[in-house]
Amino acid sequence: MNQPDRYVQFVLPEGERKVNYKADTKLKDAGTFSFRSEDHTMGNLLRMQLHSDKAMVFAGYRIPHPLEPVMVVKVQTNGTKSPEEAMVHALQDLASEFGYMLNEFDREVMNAQQNPMHNL
Amino acid sequence: MGKDKKKKSTEPKAKLPEHLELRRDYVTCGDKLNYNVHTFTSANVFSAMGVDNSWDLAQFKKDFKIIINKLDKEVLEFDMIGVDPAIANALRRILIAEVPTMAIEHVFMINNTSIIQDEVLAHRLGMVPLLADPQLFEAKVAEEAPSEKNTLVFKLDVTCKRGENRMFSGQLEWLPGGSELPEETTCRFAAGQAHLFADPATPKPRAVHDDILLAKLRPGQTIQLEAHATKGRGKEHAKWSPVATAWYRLQPVVHVIQDVAVDSDVGQELMSACPGLFVADEGGRVLRANDARGHEMLRRLLEQERFSSCVSYRKKKDHFIFTIESSGAVPPLELLGQALELLGEKARDLTGKL
Repeated sequence: MNQPDRYVQFVLPEGERKVNYKADTKLKDAGTFSFRSEDHTMGNLLRMQLHSDKAMVFAGYRIPHPLEPVMVVKVQTNGTKSPEEAMVHALQDLASEFGYMLNEFDREVMNAQQNPMHNL
Repeated sequence: MGKDKKKKSTEPKAKLPEHLELRRDYVTCGDKLNYNVHTFTSANVFSAMGVDNSWDLAQFKKDFKIIINKLDKEVLEFDMIGVDPAIANALRRILIAEVPTMAIEHVFMINNTSIIQDEVLAHRLGMVPLLADPQLFEAKVAEEAPSEKNTLVFKLDVTCKRGENRMFSGQLEWLPGGSELPEETTCRFAAGQAHLFADPATPKPRAVHDDILLAKLRPGQTIQLEAHATKGRGKEHAKWSPVATAWYRLQPVVHVIQDVAVDSDVGQELMSACPGLFVADEGGRVLRANDARGHEMLRRLLEQERFSSCVSYRKKKDHFIFTIESSGAVPPLELLGQALELLGEKARDLTGKL
């Protein structure tokens, strides 16, 4: 009766923005990204990729409430990049990483099909 | 970071001292708990030692490997090396919840005089995995009328005349022409769906397993219903999950930390408990050989002090042994391909929306 509809977890309602950025009022080069209809799948990936950036001082994600499909990523850089830039770079790196993984997978599938012996 | 120019460094990259490399790369398994479980993702974590831990696409491409170990109709086992646990977990979550499949969503009961209640029967029908390629269909939005583009229609008509009859999933009949009650179900097909499955190589839509027991009937009881299947994702309801399950574990690595003589008690017990794992090297000591994969029984022995002082059981943090068990609707290799594509799509999608 009180359970929200499941499709809300992955369908973005009309008129809502997927990502919102708010610069931090008290810290320099810090800000918070708010993602709608995202969960730990993307949150943990973004956090991991942001950490591997040399310009990062703080990067973390959380889901403020399990019943609401909102994910918040807090980013603070050391000044060489703005937080938005760092996020864009992290996403681009992730995209190129996954593209490469897909290519490797296709290559391995072709390999496996040509040598059927090595599957057993 | 993705657009920085790469500088060719003339001196070799500084390496971590061995004990720190051990902590960074391996989980040490104790008998009650595991140590050094966390991954060091931060780029600056070793800056005090002059080691750069930042991520580099070229380095990733060099280290990354996928190796398929076992593949058959339902199960795929493969190794993924050089990858952070966040990626392995994201892949697992996508396989379980976000790769779409077809499953029965709406059931129109025409007649049900059996003792199985309507809603219980409808729930059981929903959980039956259907052999239909979800890529031939579009997802159905709630307000849209069901049509041939987003719905598969099945019919079930069973009457028990004598003794006890069992209703199995194999009795689900596919109706290529659409619903037989278009007024009640508002499902009208303009043309049939038969052309989608005309090729003799593609199987006609049916339940993956014919022998799933749905209901039991006694004489005089009858069940007549029409079931509509739509495309959905595991996130919305577990019936749409394409995998029985998908899981991963870390690659085990066995290391001999103290020399053990082959003919000592300890050495003999080790070699007999795990044949093939421990091999004598020249000089008569015991050395670890090959993969520790089949030899998980070793952990039982390591509960004893005399073994755990000379053999250490570790797990490699970036080497994942993935197993995908498909429920039958989509072959596991294709599932992995779709999951990897979805992963890439998510990242590209967010890049565009910033």
